[in-house]
Amino acid sequence: MGEKSLKRARQKSEMETEDVDIEVPTTRGSEDEPLAKKGKWTNKTRVLVLCARGIGHRGRHLLQDLQNMMPHSKTESKMQKKESLFAANEMAEMKNCEKCLLFEGRKGKDVYMWAANVARGPSVKFEVENIHTMAELKMTGNCLRASRPLLSFDNSFTKDAHLKLIKELFVQIFGVPNKHPKSQPFYDHVYTFSVADGKIWFRNFQILDESGSLSEIGPRMVLNPIKVFDGSFCGQTLWENTRYITPNSKRAMLKKLKSHKYQDRVAAQAAHQAGKPTGPTFHTDETDVVFATVEDPDAKPAVPYQPVNKHKKKKNKNKKRSISAAVASG
Amino acid sequence: MIEGEEDQLQSGPDEYSDSEQDTDDELKEAFAAGLLKPGLNIVGEVPAKPKVKINVAALNQKLDDIKKDLPWVERLDMINAPAAIAPELAYKEEVHSQERQKDLRINKAKTGIEDDLVHNDFKREMLFYRQAQSAVLEGIQRLKSMNIPTKRPDDYFAQMVKSDDHMQKIREKLLSKQQTQEKIEKVKKLRELKKYGKKVQVEVQQNRLKEKKQLMENVKKFRKGKTDSLDFLEGGAPSKDGDKRINAKRKMKNDKYGFGGKKRGMKKNTKESASDVSEYRFNRNPNLKKKVGKGNQRPGKERRKKMSNKNKKRK
Repeated sequence: MGEKSLKRARQKSEMETEDVDIEVPTTRGSEDEPLAKKGKWTNKTRVLVLCARGIGHRGRHLLQDLQNMMPHSKTESKMQKKESLFAANEMAEMKNCEKCLLFEGRKGKDVYMWAANVARGPSVKFEVENIHTMAELKMTGNCLRASRPLLSFDNSFTKDAHLKLIKELFVQIFGVPNKHPKSQPFYDHVYTFSVADGKIWFRNFQILDESGSLSEIGPRMVLNPIKVFDGSFCGQTLWENTRYITPNSKRAMLKKLKSHKYQDRVAAQAAHQAGKPTGPTFHTDETDVVFATVEDPDAKPAVPYQPVNKHKKKKNKNKKRSISAAVASG
Repeated sequence: MIEGEEDQLQSGPDEYSDSEQDTDDELKEAFAAGLLKPGLNIVGEVPAKPKVKINVAALNQKLDDIKKDLPWVERLDMINAPAAIAPELAYKEEVHSQERQKDLRINKAKTGIEDDLVHNDFKREMLFYRQAQSAVLEGIQRLKSMNIPTKRPDDYFAQMVKSDDHMQKIREKLLSKQQTQEKIEKVKKLRELKKYGKKVQVEVQQNRLKEKKQLMENVKKFRKGKTDSLDFLEGGAPSKDGDKRINAKRKMKNDKYGFGGKKRGMKKNTKESASDVSEYRFNRNPNLKKKVGKGNQRPGKERRKKMSNKNKKRK
């Protein structure tokens, strides 16, 4: 609670500094027009950004990054698992939010994101892959916390019907409303959404100078669309991704691949045994000795070759010899 | 009978190898046809899904439902194709491609540079970067045409999305990376220089040998009477004295032990040394008289004491 109030105080002071930056004349006549107001904030879109339990550290940091960058967002404590996702609609209505961004985690590894228009509109479920948060040291850019981003979409977002719907939803969720009281005036970062392999790649770049040099701020993610539903967290499936494979199936497939190792080994052993020659490798004809002439009658008859036993028996050196044996050997 | 059994037993491995051969051929064909991509192809039964009809009409209906009629300033969305590749970016891609090719050659990978995942990753990121560039060019221009200030002035301090500490860490990391890179390059240069220096040394030695050979040949020629002049002896630039500084120790050792230690008989008299009267001088300097009686005599004890006391007093 204390932290929350500190945040508000800081933002207030920052707003004050903003006002101070505008040059205020020392005297003012009563006929003068009052200073130009910031302007009317008409587009009153609020987004509820929250997560469900079991999300893991990476998903949590991604959530925090998005909350920091979206001044028109409201946050809520972690959603319990016993409530169904439909309860998010009630939470959004209580906070007067018309859009919702919900992060779900499974097994501490897989992160899913729901983007929904709460009232009656569509909702989309994505699997979030390749998450790189803003805290990574390779992301060297920086931007104002509440400045309005430029949203850039790929050409593919004009072709498919589901992508057109997703584009509209993203524009309304990620785009900061004009003249929002917490927003900051300048335009110094751009979000890019591109489609590759049927997945949506999200990048956030800082505009270093107007001629086009950029540096990446983060976060980075890849959104794999799974389904588009008619209602918010409920309703008919309007579109389904036929190429989508759940992360569990992927892991199962990899494991099955590895299981072949044992089977392959067994098969290889069997093949080796089968391929072994059974008889002697060097075929000898037993009738070869028939024509051998015996020159020396005392000599031993020719015998077909037999392999010598290489494993000689070790002589027992300490064996006690009998006296007669010693005499015989001389 | 035995042979028949052997045949049956041998059919086992043949079958196995045949089936393997078939799948290999199939894989090769599929790869050639472009159906298979390099990398991990997970073979397995994808869980069979019931075919889904995509309700395009409903999607469009929904899209119309959620659309809000807002001017572009409220939305700031754009459709961009990647911008034209800038020469610096093209150069970076080229450098990356060459590095990856080197790596692939070293690791003896069979995939070409086109299929290398790391390089494809790099190219993909370049595409995103270029898409962002074209968005920036278009968006900023549009905003400027509406007289909306886009560039943050240098004195505008506000809360940033990353804290100052974090930016400091990033800066340090970049600096350390740069330093390690410089060190590596320095070491490489030193290595190159060493090699070059060695080359130069070898060349100089070879030149010297050549000259010596030439000199000997010329001397031979002269001795045999083929050339009359002794001009070759004067050939070459006069050597500086600094080059010929001979180490005194070396000189001594040379004299003592040089040429196989021939100095053994030096202290004996030979015919020449006995008849050598060059060092015998009759009267070197007849003008100089020998001092008779007291010459350069030491002062007496008393005198010496006085001298030392004098010196002591002065202290």
